[in-house]
Amino acid sequence: MDVTSQDITATDAPRPGRRTFLRWLSAILATIAAVVLSVPVVGYFFGLRKRSVFWVDLGAVGAFPLNQTRRVNFDNPLRQPWDGVTALTGVYARNEGKNEEGADQFRVLSVNCAHLGCPVSWFPQSGLFMCPCHGGVYYADGERASGPPPRGMFHCEWRIEKGRLQIQAPHYPTLQDTLTASAKRCTDSSVHV
Amino acid sequence: MNYHSLNHICSFRFALRLSAVVGMILLNAGGCNLSGKPDQADLPVSPEQIANFDQLYTTNCAGCHGATGKLGPAPPLNDPLFVAIIPEDELHRVIGDGRAGTLMPAFATVNGGSLTDKQVKLLAEGVKSHWKSEAPLDHSPPAYAITNEPQTIPAVEEHTRRLAIYQRACAGCHGPDGSGSQGNRSGPGAINAPAFLALISNQALRRIIITGRPDLGMPTYAEKRGRTAEYEPISTAEIDDLVALLAQWRSVGSTAVAEQH
Amino acid sequence: MFNLLKQIGRWFDVRLGISDTLMPMMRHPVPREIEGPLGWWYVFGSAAMTLFLIQILTGIGLALVYVPAADKAYESLLYLNYQQPLGWYLRALHYYAGSGMVVLLLVHMTQVFMHGAYKYPRELTWVLGVFLLICTMGMFFSGQILRWDPDAYWGLAVAGSMAGRVPVIGPRIVHLLLGGEIIGGDSLSRFFALHVFVIPGALIAFLAVHLWLVLKCGVSTPPVAGQVVDPNTYDATYHEELKRGVPFLGDAILKDVLFSSLAVIVVVAIAAIVGPKGPTAPPDPTLAGANPRPEWPFLWLFGLLSLSPPSVETFIMLVFPVIVIAILFLVPFISNRGERAPSRRPAAVLFVIVAYTALGALTYEGATAPWSPKMTAWSGDPVPENFVKERSPVELQGAVVFQYKNCRNCHALDGVGGRRGPDLSNVGTRMTANQLIDQVSNGTPGGGNMPAYGKQMSANEMTVLVDFLVSLRPEDQLPAGAAETPIVTAPGAHE
Ligand code: FES
Repeated sequence: MDVTSQDITATDAPRPGRRTFLRWLSAILATIAAVVLSVPVVGYFFGLRKRSVFWVDLGAVGAFPLNQTRRVNFDNPLRQPWDGVTALTGVYARNEGKNEEGADQFRVLSVNCAHLGCPVSWFPQSGLFMCPCHGGVYYADGERASGPPPRGMFHCEWRIEKGRLQIQAPHYPTLQDTLTASAKRCTDSSVHV
Repeated sequence: MNYHSLNHICSFRFALRLSAVVGMILLNAGGCNLSGKPDQADLPVSPEQIANFDQLYTTNCAGCHGATGKLGPAPPLNDPLFVAIIPEDELHRVIGDGRAGTLMPAFATVNGGSLTDKQVKLLAEGVKSHWKSEAPLDHSPPAYAITNEPQTIPAVEEHTRRLAIYQRACAGCHGPDGSGSQGNRSGPGAINAPAFLALISNQALRRIIITGRPDLGMPTYAEKRGRTAEYEPISTAEIDDLVALLAQWRSVGSTAVAEQH
Repeated sequence: MFNLLKQIGRWFDVRLGISDTLMPMMRHPVPREIEGPLGWWYVFGSAAMTLFLIQILTGIGLALVYVPAADKAYESLLYLNYQQPLGWYLRALHYYAGSGMVVLLLVHMTQVFMHGAYKYPRELTWVLGVFLLICTMGMFFSGQILRWDPDAYWGLAVAGSMAGRVPVIGPRIVHLLLGGEIIGGDSLSRFFALHVFVIPGALIAFLAVHLWLVLKCGVSTPPVAGQVVDPNTYDATYHEELKRGVPFLGDAILKDVLFSSLAVIVVVAIAAIVGPKGPTAPPDPTLAGANPRPEWPFLWLFGLLSLSPPSVETFIMLVFPVIVIAILFLVPFISNRGERAPSRRPAAVLFVIVAYTALGALTYEGATAPWSPKMTAWSGDPVPENFVKERSPVELQGAVVFQYKNCRNCHALDGVGGRRGPDLSNVGTRMTANQLIDQVSNGTPGGGNMPAYGKQMSANEMTVLVDFLVSLRPEDQLPAGAAETPIVTAPGAHE
């Protein structure tokens, strides 16, 4: 009842200028409200954190016997403080001896299968990595041997610092975001050690 | 309201069904152990935490050494004579570091294997305690460890001596030149095959000569089975000689050895 | 006393208007046949909804204890399982009621499809139903993640890797999915938000519209062969039909009540007898022996993926699910008129049979996963004793090489071992020594399923291995190729 009578009064006494102004004002205010609300919120939801570069110490070079593959587990510095054991990460490191200049050469491979990310196991007797999910197999150098993986294993960026093997903390590697490509992309961003 | 239908809902049968559900839940709360209640003991133990000989043996050793420690393709561990002569330290070392010159892999994590040092120790102790002989051994057995690495090109008289021991202790089954008695490939046959000798170390040969393969019918160093009635157990030095002969076959082949001399 | 209650009731009713609004809705007329035996076809949707109510209830209960933080989630699940009185039961009920919901949704959907109930004017009801199915599957997947164990961790890894294959924006989707650079607390939190807020919110909203449409369009009559749906005349006919109809809140609802009760009892019993699922080991990705498996509603996809050649894999991961969902959405638009009775729609019946056969077969494959190597077989599966007895020293060495080089992880002997490659118990009758050497050295040509072992073993190892493999045949059978090449001494004669 109330509503209808108000409506009637409103149409009875039209004040067009004021009415139009009010319409525009509410439209503009609503737009502003929507923008100031959504820009930061959408940014929050879809923004990317800056990718930082950390180097992880895997141990003295001498601890890696020549031409043997060793599993190394470490706490990934890309973790959140509340990640718990989930942040533990494994890689396979292989000491490949020295190059012509006498510098130590390593091959560090991610445990994540290049197919769909399952954890591959190293079998030193046959010199093969095998994946438990769909049976992907790789050779000791990480090259694909058989099964569904579309490429070889993901290589981590490594360096030798004061006789110790260090690798760049690996993010979760996928086909278009491998561990070596990201290194190039990030060299210009801030570097923590 | 449709009281007719409400009556149906509240009918006796429905109430019965409802009370069955409630009863079940109460039963549960009352501490009656329903089979679904999980038991903390069923939680998986992480592989490094396993500290049970049987479990460790079944997952790591049974593949080659057999489900019960014998009748596997690799030499049996469930063999009282073997358990008696192998020092526990040596067993520990072989499990942890593998055995060079054979297919026995290294299991310790430091060597890229999957067992912690504790677990390797547990396995070594377990083999020793599970499969030791009930009765004391009748002979005092020859030493386990190989004493001196044999020379591959021996003097003629040394070679003749080795061959004589071979004829006495081995030729009955393995034939005069090690190619098997009936020329069969299968059965207790050829031990002169280069591939076989290449994949077994002198120490492992010595062990097999001492213990035989009781699970497959090969006699120990002392048994008369398959040998002449006047056979006497061979001595530690004689076993070394046999190992040396096989090592010679390994490097130049058994027929070449025969021709050489 | 009763009068007082009645008065209070009336006080509320005047203000809330329940008997004016809700009661007529509940008493909306439904076709007369539903009171008869044919009405049993109409009970599945409501039962699925009943189980959904259990999910809300148990879900709230679990949320009271569960901690959605990566370092505490596993512990809180153990607490629920072993300490919290009836915590294990609530977890079990939540799992089996959810499973039951999926089953009932499928049955409901199949019934609606077979009876052509999605045809005019109920196209939108069907579309909303598909949304509900998608939400339910989403709940299942996110729920598995919350069970923060290795399956959850590696499930996320597989999902991330799949998403990473999307052209161009793949890496961004991975980041969005995982919530960070690695799988961890951020990933768990976002799946918690999805499982507890986003998807249930969507599900309830879709369910509301679905129910509104059921009311608005009415329940379809059981199909009769020859009675065709024509959008021009349907409304009038249906209106006539309803004039003879019966109120829903009457005898018609009894079947729903009865069947829903039955569903609840079954779910409760299974939960009490079987108990909660997992969690297994802690979510430590460095734990050896991880062997991740998806939850049962996704096993068919796991099977399909694993059986398809790598060349079409990305298509199956990314495009195929979209096609399946699109087909489901399009069902009522492909044909919204014509016959409804299954007897007059052989194509529809065939489609259902083929779809369920395929789903069943793929689920079986996914559950047994014969393509997965058995990682512990080489050291844990004994060589069968009859393959050890009466073998020469060379062959025994070969058997050791077979284990040592991890052949057993993919090849069974006497049915024990990996099933990725063929069982080799009789391989001696199928392949000659030369063929075996070729196969072992080069693997499957073109980098198929078997790796090339040529560089992975020495010549001696190859020799003894092949000798062993050739000896794998029944005693009375000659080795492969023996018939063509005359041999002097019969090998394998053990007498
Ligand atoms: S994830 Fe490794 S083969 Fe599929």
